[in-house]
Amino acid sequence: MRPDLCLQNAGRRYGLRGPWVLRGVDLTVAPGRLIRVEGGNGSGKSTLLRLLAGIDAPSEGRMTGRPRTAYVPERFPPALPFTAAGYLTHLGRVHGLTRTAAARAAGEWLERLGAAAYADTPMARLSKGSSQKVAVAQALLGEPELLVLDEAWTGLDTEARAELERAVAERTAAGGSVVFVDHDPRRLAGLSDATYAVRDGSLVERASAEPVPSGPQVIVDAQGPPDGRLPAEVHASVSSAEETAPGRYRLTVPAPHSDVVLRALLTARPPWHVASVVQREDPTGSRR
Amino acid sequence: MTALLRYHAALLLRSQRWLPPFLLYAAFLAISIQAGQPVLDSLGYSAAALLPVAAWLARICVTGEPDAARGCVAAAVGPGRAQVACLLVALAGAAALGTVTTLLVTLLSDPVASDHRTRVPLGPACGAGLLAALACALLGTAVGALTSRPLLRSPGRAVLALLLAALLSLVATGSPAQAVVQGLVTGSQKGTVPLPLLPLAAAALVTAAALALSGALASRRSP
Repeated sequence: MRPDLCLQNAGRRYGLRGPWVLRGVDLTVAPGRLIRVEGGNGSGKSTLLRLLAGIDAPSEGRMTGRPRTAYVPERFPPALPFTAAGYLTHLGRVHGLTRTAAARAAGEWLERLGAAAYADTPMARLSKGSSQKVAVAQALLGEPELLVLDEAWTGLDTEARAELERAVAERTAAGGSVVFVDHDPRRLAGLSDATYAVRDGSLVERASAEPVPSGPQVIVDAQGPPDGRLPAEVHASVSSAEETAPGRYRLTVPAPHSDVVLRALLTARPPWHVASVVQREDPTGSRR
Repeated sequence: MTALLRYHAALLLRSQRWLPPFLLYAAFLAISIQAGQPVLDSLGYSAAALLPVAAWLARICVTGEPDAARGCVAAAVGPGRAQVACLLVALAGAAALGTVTTLLVTLLSDPVASDHRTRVPLGPACGAGLLAALACALLGTAVGALTSRPLLRSPGRAVLALLLAALLSLVATGSPAQAVVQGLVTGSQKGTVPLPLLPLAAAALVTAAALALSGALASRRSP
């Protein structure tokens, strides 16, 4: 088991005598946790994420337990002299994949994000959204232990946004940690393990008592062996599970987690039978 | 590290920003070196001119990658390693350029000392030229590393500092680059081939220190 990533009394300022952007930050990112960071423009969210990603070192305080990390910046420059697939293959190898594995992962992620058509397009000719897809793909292809997303959804189309939410669910289900900033309150709604707000240069955990709106849900009807108990991975990913008959479960699953749950059910030993999957009709999306 | 070096090498080659320093170097050599000149003199010229070219290459490698792309790589491998890797690519480029130039210059020059009578053996002369070129490539990379991001971030000041530092390291007594070039010129006057191992070792030490400093500061003084 890898250790938690810990920030202890960390602060960051630019220049030797610059004003403190962040100060006295204590934060622990445990494996499998999804952490949301909020704050106004210029509050220091991006600085915090750069510290967590290991791009900047804290000016004071300590940071311990660096996992294998990937980072998606908020704006990705197309000013790189590579094709999309060429850049991703290079980055895949930097993330520790072999040449063939990197090329395959690059193709898969471009396909999943709906940018396969641009694989051989020079980066300089990509649209803003497509280059953001490349930025997202470079972070995901190494299956990082810590994924840091700085407004990674900005500029993506609807399908790619949903795909990135599913990718985040996959990472946390696989034991990876994800820290993200996004201005849309419905982003991964109800799935975060903790929400922090950056205010006046310090980090405060938002009280979990506040009502958290839940996102779209999927109802999965699954039949296991008569004395079957739900796989642990499924248990961790569902909003609620109700046993309707011996071994038969009616699972309410947050939409981004649906693939993770179905994969866990179908690959369990012995495998479960999935009787039906329907989207819950809940237009307000406020009920839990 | 191999993947990182490969990425930065590809970035340098494909960006074509290596072309201006390369052309400037070629133009300088075409003007200052002619076939049939004493070999050690010509090797001294080509090694000396390599230093600012190496510094320019280092600057290109450090500044060529957009900030956001640098962030992605730094998250994956650590900012220090990313910084050192791109400087090593610049060093390798300068060393390769110096090697090719030394071989060409040796082939074109006459195996004689400055008086055009004393014979100078071509093999050892070529060896001395290679060592001198390597020392200048090393020191040039150090100059480039110390006068660009993260140490000097304003481009105007950085370029001025780069030019000044490159000039100083070529003329100031005590600089390894000055020592190797002076060694070749004196050797040509006396008709003996120098073996500049000591200045080369000094240049390697200075460069290692410069790269380590640049790497250590990469995460502290950004963006």
